[in-house]
Amino acid sequence: MIPVGVLTGFLGSGKTTLLGRLLKSPDFGRTAVIINEFGEVGLDHDLIEASDESFVELQTGCLCCTIRGDLVLTLADILRRRDDGAVAPFERVVIETSGLADPAPILHALMSDDLLAARLAVAGVVTTVDAVNGAETLGRQPESVKQVAVADRLVLTKTDLVGAPPNALIARLAALNPSAPVLSATFGAIDPAHLFDAGVWDAPGKTPNLPAWLADVPHHHDTIHDPNRHDGRIACFALIRDRPIPAVALTLFLEVLAEHCGADLLRLKGIVDIAESPERPAVIHGVQHVFHPPAFLARWPSPDRRSRLVFIVREIPRAFVETLLAAIEAEVHDAAQPA
Amino acid sequence: MTADPITAVHDLLVASLRAWRVDGSVTRAANGTLELTARGAVLRVSRASLPFRWMVSIGERSRGVTSVAGLLRTVRRVVDPDHQPNRLRIAPAPLVPP
Repeated sequence: MIPVGVLTGFLGSGKTTLLGRLLKSPDFGRTAVIINEFGEVGLDHDLIEASDESFVELQTGCLCCTIRGDLVLTLADILRRRDDGAVAPFERVVIETSGLADPAPILHALMSDDLLAARLAVAGVVTTVDAVNGAETLGRQPESVKQVAVADRLVLTKTDLVGAPPNALIARLAALNPSAPVLSATFGAIDPAHLFDAGVWDAPGKTPNLPAWLADVPHHHDTIHDPNRHDGRIACFALIRDRPIPAVALTLFLEVLAEHCGADLLRLKGIVDIAESPERPAVIHGVQHVFHPPAFLARWPSPDRRSRLVFIVREIPRAFVETLLAAIEAEVHDAAQPA
Repeated sequence: MTADPITAVHDLLVASLRAWRVDGSVTRAANGTLELTARGAVLRVSRASLPFRWMVSIGERSRGVTSVAGLLRTVRRVVDPDHQPNRLRIAPAPLVPP
């Protein structure tokens, strides 16, 4: 499987600078880059200097809107060219989105296409945030809020201009997405090893990497809302269950979430103690109404055997999610009783 | 402790109206029947015998549903008819590589 990272961030937040530096790093060789630019004439790809082992493809239009199919075709094309020896045998793919893109439909495309799913694996979403203008952008541009909310890693850029990252911005990022570590890049310089390593598995060893995947999730019972009125529609919270969840209850729960919440379920990831599989927990991950098949781990990765579900949502009250799971659990429990 | 199904569904319907941003209320009668009032409609929700689990009544019409999922779908069609439901899609991409 070839890991695919999504690099996003609002206009001018330093995506291209970051990517340019990454591609010069020996640790980031053999990378295929797909740059999406919004507009008839793209410029960013001209600003990227790739090594001999890497190459850059350009797409125009908005990836998250009408040309999502084009992304699938582009990825299929570079895989074919790799197989044919027409391009370097790249070991990873990075998709740099336009500054206005919503990353969620891009994840859909990566998860949903049969051909791509057999060869590519999502390695995480990295979102750049301008340390100078980031707070203002988050206040004015809903696209930037969503880009931050769905990120696995947040990278503060232009920190050389402000010295220490502004506390207010750090607080905003933590409120919007407490599970994403915040890294800093100065002039685009950052250790590549810390960026696209956000998959649930450890790529080299193909072993579960759950502690990192679920790092710093809000394991308390409070919903975290951004207090800023512009961002208040997005929230992050965790549901924790001490008792096992019957498999059918989990299925019904996900079905109802998809049916009623759809596009507002920005991301859901978690580890679940399935009643029928006490020794092998299930890992789940979904973006809006699209979910990976649950992955059953060989064993629990830690002594903590509670089910932990992390939600990043837009205008879905925590109470709805909690009462939904409780009602389904009650019904499944009731149905199992003798008549 | 697992909540009794009527209490759990009552709480769910209250939370659902808020989630759907529909003004309304849910009350529980002594016999356990739930009455949901929203946007001029009155729905009564009660336990049903198999093969159904819930009966939803609107005026003289009654409809049986087999799960909480079906119950929510039926209620939302009445109180939030503009909602466009999504279907859960399981992607072919595995979460953990084979």
